Amino acid sequence: MANLQRKRNRDVAIPNGSMSDIAFLLLLFFMVSTVFVQEKQFWVERDRWPVAESIERIPRNHTTTIYVMRDETILIDDVPTRIETAEDTFVYSTLMRKRDEDPELVVCFRTDRDTLYGVMSDVMRQLQDANTLLVAFETQQRRD
Amino acid sequence: MKIGRKRKSKAEIPTSSMSDIAFLLIIFFMATTKFDVKEGIRIVLPQAAAEGAQQAQTITLTEKEMTRMQIMPDGMIVVNTAAPRSYESGELDALIQQKLKLNSEMIFKVITDREAKYNDMVRVVDRLKAAKIEKISLSTN
Repeated sequence: MANLQRKRNRDVAIPNGSMSDIAFLLLLFFMVSTVFVQEKQFWVERDRWPVAESIERIPRNHTTTIYVMRDETILIDDVPTRIETAEDTFVYSTLMRKRDEDPELVVCFRTDRDTLYGVMSDVMRQLQDANTLLVAFETQQRRD
Repeated sequence: MKIGRKRKSKAEIPTSSMSDIAFLLIIFFMATTKFDVKEGIRIVLPQAAAEGAQQAQTITLTEKEMTRMQIMPDGMIVVNTAAPRSYESGELDALIQQKLKLNSEMIFKVITDREAKYNDMVRVVDRLKAAKIEKISLSTN
């Protein structure tokens, strides 16, 4: 005779004992990878950058940023400077030092889109003199 | 008199809300984390001529080998010897493709006036990069 006993419903439970371990691992990851970016006194806001389509991602670990404001003030290593005469070689000397520290240095320009090209040309000439030839123009992604 | 021994109560720190706290912290860090990868247009500048070096050799390039794109202060572009005019992005793309049909190894020289806007230069370089052109020269006049 067949056994017609009713099957007992077993309690189905997802083990959640390790939930807090997982949570803390994730927490550690985010704590380690978080960067609180401090804005500089002189700052080119993102909506003032040029817009482009063919942009590349540039890893941050070999980069230095030069800010160029519309009034032709240049900010490098938090030091504002200007290039008015041939003797203004602060960009050159700073970049020489930085390139000696990191030969793969990429110089990123955060420039106001309405800045006149003359100042950019002067900065790029000093970069060439300092043999810092890898440059990137930071742009916003075009969203049509 | 009844002197009863006091029972020692077990001291415990409640840990049941630990995972709630951890998840709250995770949400905070997820919301504030910024993977700061820069985005932009990469260019390799040519090397500066060494001081005291002999004068660089002059090479004459024809229109079939090099296209000059001169950006004027008002944003107009002069292509080779054509009259200055403004170009929309689509028109620039068509022009670049036309030049590439003439010579797939075409060199593009972008000459930006000192009084022109940086944005105009980036716009032209962006269209050249979009067409996968690597031979781009930047200069000013």
